[in-house]
Amino acid sequence: MPHHHPSDTTLLRYAAGTLDAGATLVVDVHLEHCTDCAQRVATLMALGGDHLASLPPEAMAPDALSKALARLDTLPAAKPSPAPPQPRLDWPQGIDIPAALLPHAATPWKRLGKGVAISRLNIPHAHRDMQVFLLRTEPGRTLPRHGHEGYELTCVLSGRFRDSTGSYGPGDLAEMGSDVHHQAVAENAGTCVCLIALHGRLRLDHWLGRLLQPLAGF
Amino acid sequence: MSSTGTSAQDQAQLIAAIARHGDKSAFAALFQIYAPRIKAYLMRLGTPAGEAEELAQEALLNVWRKADRFDPERAAPATWIFTIARNLRIDAARRVKPLDRYAEDITVQPIADPAADQMLMTEQAEHSLHQAMQVLPPDQMQVVRLSFFEDRPHADIAQLLDIPLGTVKSRLRLAMARLRSNLGED
Repeated sequence: MPHHHPSDTTLLRYAAGTLDAGATLVVDVHLEHCTDCAQRVATLMALGGDHLASLPPEAMAPDALSKALARLDTLPAAKPSPAPPQPRLDWPQGIDIPAALLPHAATPWKRLGKGVAISRLNIPHAHRDMQVFLLRTEPGRTLPRHGHEGYELTCVLSGRFRDSTGSYGPGDLAEMGSDVHHQAVAENAGTCVCLIALHGRLRLDHWLGRLLQPLAGF
Repeated sequence: MSSTGTSAQDQAQLIAAIARHGDKSAFAALFQIYAPRIKAYLMRLGTPAGEAEELAQEALLNVWRKADRFDPERAAPATWIFTIARNLRIDAARRVKPLDRYAEDITVQPIADPAADQMLMTEQAEHSLHQAMQVLPPDQMQVVRLSFFEDRPHADIAQLLDIPLGTVKSRLRLAMARLRSNLGED
């Protein structure tokens, strides 16, 4: 079980549907590893159900129901969910690819420096200041110090990294705000692969900023 | 009890009727209950009326498509339907605001409140998805709904409820602590 979890605020926003799509994806992945948080989300969803049931209704168009009934006739019969699409990214050996990531396209790994590579995910409908990517780091490698204007949500998929706030292993979720300047080291636990949602403009001298330019070719 | 006027058990039966018989009158009954409320949920989060109406339609169509997967042991109908609407919103929303946690972060602190502990001891505080309403007292539920499910800033909530800003924050802190320790009872 993971030791680092989303904050209460993040989990509530996640359940309410008001968390950005990129951050939501990172929490989705954490929940695949964390039954405690999954149970908390189930309770928070029940709050959502109470909220929904208690809302004063907003009038629909007079023909709304008849339009819906008409569409029922053209809906295909319920069928089992299709098999997940084949992963398109060349994942390091032995990593369980989270189900939540399977539908998303990702750029091929791009080398950032010795033992560090990045792959950017295409997240439709994420806020324009939100970027989501996978970072792959070999054990012992140090990622450069960086800061950001917004916040960063990281979920470890494999391996382990350490920074001033602690040690993070598979399933762990780290939330870093704009007040944190951190430098992470991949520990000796195999290739460290992390899913990262990064919000806000990056500092111009930021090493990621040179790469995370507005996407071309997606 | 919700204000929809139809009990959870009755709604569960409507969903079952859809799953087993493709019952369109059951669908119509659920539509009348939930489509206008899904529209309201979305509009309160900033979705324009036209788009909210389309998404509400789509949500009810998903209720139809997935009715065979509803398990009344796992969730109340309102919770299941809320989840469908919430998922649609995340997939379709173009106006989801970024998380601005440092503007309105609520830190959970331990509370020493004997009355709160008393309530947590009751059977109804046992982790049960059907009992969510008893988990939070009305004043805390109200601020949780306004802050998280309607995404309103604390200052707006204070103004709306005509209470001090500090009271909004402390009710949210209490609510979070209660939600957290309610699960810790397991």
